[in-house]
Amino acid sequence: MLWYKSWLETRWRFAIGLAILILSAVGTVLAYPRVVQLLPLVPSVDVPGEVGRRILEMATLSRTYRGYVWAQWLRQNMTQMLALFAALLGTGGLLAQASGGGALFTLSLPVSRDRLLGVRVATGLAELLALAFLPSLVLPLLSPAVGETFSVVDVLVYGTCAFFAAAVLFSMASLLSTVFSDVWRPALIVCALAACVGIAEPFFGDYSRYGFFGLMDGEMYFRGAGLPWLGLLASAAASAAMLFAASRNLARQDF
Amino acid sequence: MSDRFVIETSDLRKQYDGVEALRGLTLQVPAGSIYGFLGRNGAGKTTTIKVLLGMAHPTSGTVRVFGTPAQPPAASVDVRRRIGFVSDDKDLFDYMTVEEMIRFTASFFPKWRADLEQRYRRSFELPADRKVKALSRGTRTKLALLLALCRGAELLILDEPTSGLDPAMTEEVLQALVAHVASEEMTVFFSSHQIGEVDQIADHVAIVDRGRAVVTGALDDLRESYRRIQFVFENDAPDTSFRTPGAGRMRRKGRVLTVLASGGADAIVDEARALNPISVDIVPVTLKEIFLETVVGED
Repeated sequence: MLWYKSWLETRWRFAIGLAILILSAVGTVLAYPRVVQLLPLVPSVDVPGEVGRRILEMATLSRTYRGYVWAQWLRQNMTQMLALFAALLGTGGLLAQASGGGALFTLSLPVSRDRLLGVRVATGLAELLALAFLPSLVLPLLSPAVGETFSVVDVLVYGTCAFFAAAVLFSMASLLSTVFSDVWRPALIVCALAACVGIAEPFFGDYSRYGFFGLMDGEMYFRGAGLPWLGLLASAAASAAMLFAASRNLARQDF
Repeated sequence: MSDRFVIETSDLRKQYDGVEALRGLTLQVPAGSIYGFLGRNGAGKTTTIKVLLGMAHPTSGTVRVFGTPAQPPAASVDVRRRIGFVSDDKDLFDYMTVEEMIRFTASFFPKWRADLEQRYRRSFELPADRKVKALSRGTRTKLALLLALCRGAELLILDEPTSGLDPAMTEEVLQALVAHVASEEMTVFFSSHQIGEVDQIADHVAIVDRGRAVVTGALDDLRESYRRIQFVFENDAPDTSFRTPGAGRMRRKGRVLTVLASGGADAIVDEARALNPISVDIVPVTLKEIFLETVVGED
């Protein structure tokens, strides 16, 4: 029943995230014909600096459907929104309940704090897994409508990369939720950190593919360098370390 | 430490951010008793309950519940399996319905009493499909009570169970509690700052003040041993003190000297004879008077 409780507490965040991501995926696919029409205009656009480079790169990538989907959906829309919802799903828990009610009842149950946290984390990660994979499944399903195809294998690979990276943000939010007693500060701190990393990474040029968002959007796989095993392992280790810290922090809390 | 006591604390201390909530609390709650834990707001009642349930960690001292140390996490889980609890805020899950709340709680307790659940559902008139957040304070309290009573618990810990209720609802809740305890073998440990309700249902009492137990014992014994002794003198009452054990707080007002004795009233009177009082009056005291003299009197 703890699973049910965790589900009730996070279902709206999950449902809203899923709906927005699916709509965004649908929009990305259906916009492709229009993008193809506009592509010839791009070389005439003269915007200096990083923005100009990005526009030209986007135009170059969009010459193929696979490149367009990666640049528009995986590198931008999904990555940004998944980061946001990972932070939102990771917030909450006992400390937030303590200020909003329900924590003492939960703590009076014959359940250890580790188990309470474990079930909450497992529920959140399951929801995150769904957010990382389900919206992208729209791509192989809907692409034929615009005369294109998208591989299910690619969806699985990109989804895996996105999930492992998003799990780091989720774990960070979970850890911060054992420090702050409201749901907003953990989410805001994680989003702010993610935004800083997202702004900084492009300045590292080609090395950005080895960065956090480079892992999240599966850039190495997209560019034919295979799965980013090291990044996946590092993410898993970072997530595990933060969740362990969250567990220790929760164990020593007074309610 | 003995099996006769369901709860035993010894020199229990708890400090929160420099504030001492408990300052050496020592308690022994006999098995099968209805134990009233009486004190003013902020006296340390809720902190004590949180320590008993493993929600807060004591700074020092020992806590035993059912004879086992209550603090190690694994032991605390086992202890909570045998305890029913109602918090001061009656904090439940607002997003659940009454039905969901009952099913959720029942799933953690193998000895859940389905028979009692049905009985209390009827007598408390709980609306199964209504969300907890939509319940009135009284109905919320009844639901919290049902969730505690049906756990098949050996110990019921209630933190201000009637706080925020009107007198009629308070009476209803107390009657339900007494009826339950009469039919089940269990110990009840309940905190309150309502002297009347402790007097009404408790058989043992601890008065706690500033994190320390200042009076403990069976209520009948306290009523038996506590006496107010009033001495009247020909002139102003002398500024004196008594060596006899049991002599407590003294008040001087004009020719009258009043002593609260926790025992040995006759010996105190004997000692006072040297002061030549013109009259001596020994009267029994109520729990309210004991409380007021031992707690408020310490200000």
